[in-house]
Amino acid sequence: MNAEGLRQRGAVLAALRGWFADHGYVEVPTPALVPSPALEESLFAVPAGDGWLRTSPEFALKRVLAAGLPRIYELGPCFRDRERGDWHGREFLMLEWYRVGASLPDLMDEVEALVAAAARAVNRPAPPLWERISVRDLFMRTVGVDLAHQRADAAAPRADEDWDTAFFRAWVDQVEPSLQAPTFVFDWPASQAALARVFHDPVWPTTQRFEAYLGGVELANAFLELIDSAEQRRRFHAANAKRAAAGEAPHPLDERLIEAVGRMPPTSGIAMGVDRLVAAVCGWDSIAPGRVD
Amino acid sequence: MYDTSEIRKGLKVEMDGQPWTVTYFQFVKPGKGTAFTRTKLKSLLTGNVVDRTFRTGEKLEPAQVETVSMQYMYNDADGWNFMNTETFDQISISADALGTSANYLIEDMVIDVLLYKGKPVNVELPNFVEMVIECDPGVKGNTAQGGTKPATLPNGATIQVPLFIETGTKIRIDTRTDEYMERVKE
Repeated sequence: MNAEGLRQRGAVLAALRGWFADHGYVEVPTPALVPSPALEESLFAVPAGDGWLRTSPEFALKRVLAAGLPRIYELGPCFRDRERGDWHGREFLMLEWYRVGASLPDLMDEVEALVAAAARAVNRPAPPLWERISVRDLFMRTVGVDLAHQRADAAAPRADEDWDTAFFRAWVDQVEPSLQAPTFVFDWPASQAALARVFHDPVWPTTQRFEAYLGGVELANAFLELIDSAEQRRRFHAANAKRAAAGEAPHPLDERLIEAVGRMPPTSGIAMGVDRLVAAVCGWDSIAPGRVD
Repeated sequence: MYDTSEIRKGLKVEMDGQPWTVTYFQFVKPGKGTAFTRTKLKSLLTGNVVDRTFRTGEKLEPAQVETVSMQYMYNDADGWNFMNTETFDQISISADALGTSANYLIEDMVIDVLLYKGKPVNVELPNFVEMVIECDPGVKGNTAQGGTKPATLPNGATIQVPLFIETGTKIRIDTRTDEYMERVKE
């Protein structure tokens, strides 16, 4: 932490709230203490009382969407256990926003505008033009494999790692280091859908998701949101099965969320790491200067 | 075995039949994927540096290395001879294992010797050493700025020193960068 870093973070937070107010979004704080944490096999929630600290405000905000608010955002702390490093903190500031009727390209436009507003708030130039590229094209360019037909580690497959782990190992070693310019990466493998809709292409099934990269670091993740309760329930059960296979306790299903998913209008939503946004627009090499430790 | 959460700078691990030391590490977790730790590992045998990424949950084998304090005595045809300051055992270290560290050894100097499976593979020098050098006569009036000239260390290696340095001067050297620091006032 340093005083100048905290001043800059404060300026970015004010700019974010100003931008959302100017674009018709309602700020909706939701509970940080939740009865059912996110259900993904590689997220670990911090237990608290008779529940958990939220890993994101997604479940609560989707109930708000089902209740009839079409443009909402929340800016507040989230908690993920077992994540610590230059770009990770167990507690971090998350910005999530949802827009009924928006497409994923609409949200990419909004990310560009928000990042520009954040940069202006700390007297930095807005990042140059963002590239928009699919996961499949990006792997062709950086790893030289066609994911529709090969494992990412086709040249030297590891017997102890499955398709997705091979994918992420290649991502961490070869793909992510190439993403120095601002980039949106879209059309992720269908197996990495979480709460996004899937496009059932027989050759290369993908999920309607994008990630934003700024300064070489993952900044945000967006979904064309799943609005099918039965499919949502099936995915939660699948995630719990994977957790159990990895020796982790299963999580209770959030029935209120599953019910709300079926009543949500078509919506796109996005989660952005604010500590990383501040670090990226300020040009820091970690999130530390903008945090009180 | 080490867990990936135990990875730190200086951790010594065994991999591919060699001991390595961690010189860099970074935790990284793709949004919807498993977590990894990126590392740079330096071979304690060859000095080669490789990039390795470990998935959270992978185990790392500790390297069979130990550090002992030893006093440098002399060098001969067999190598550079040291004495364990506690047990008084004597060992000989090859020029290959010493690398450029040999340039800075002075009789009676006590340094840390790294043993791998009981055999010396590397030494840890102090960050700064003081040595008397030989060089061409100093150029008067040429002080802080200006060019450099080669000077010879007692063990025969050369180092760049400022033009004003006289032969027979004792200087301080940074062993990490092989650079002249300053004259030593006696």
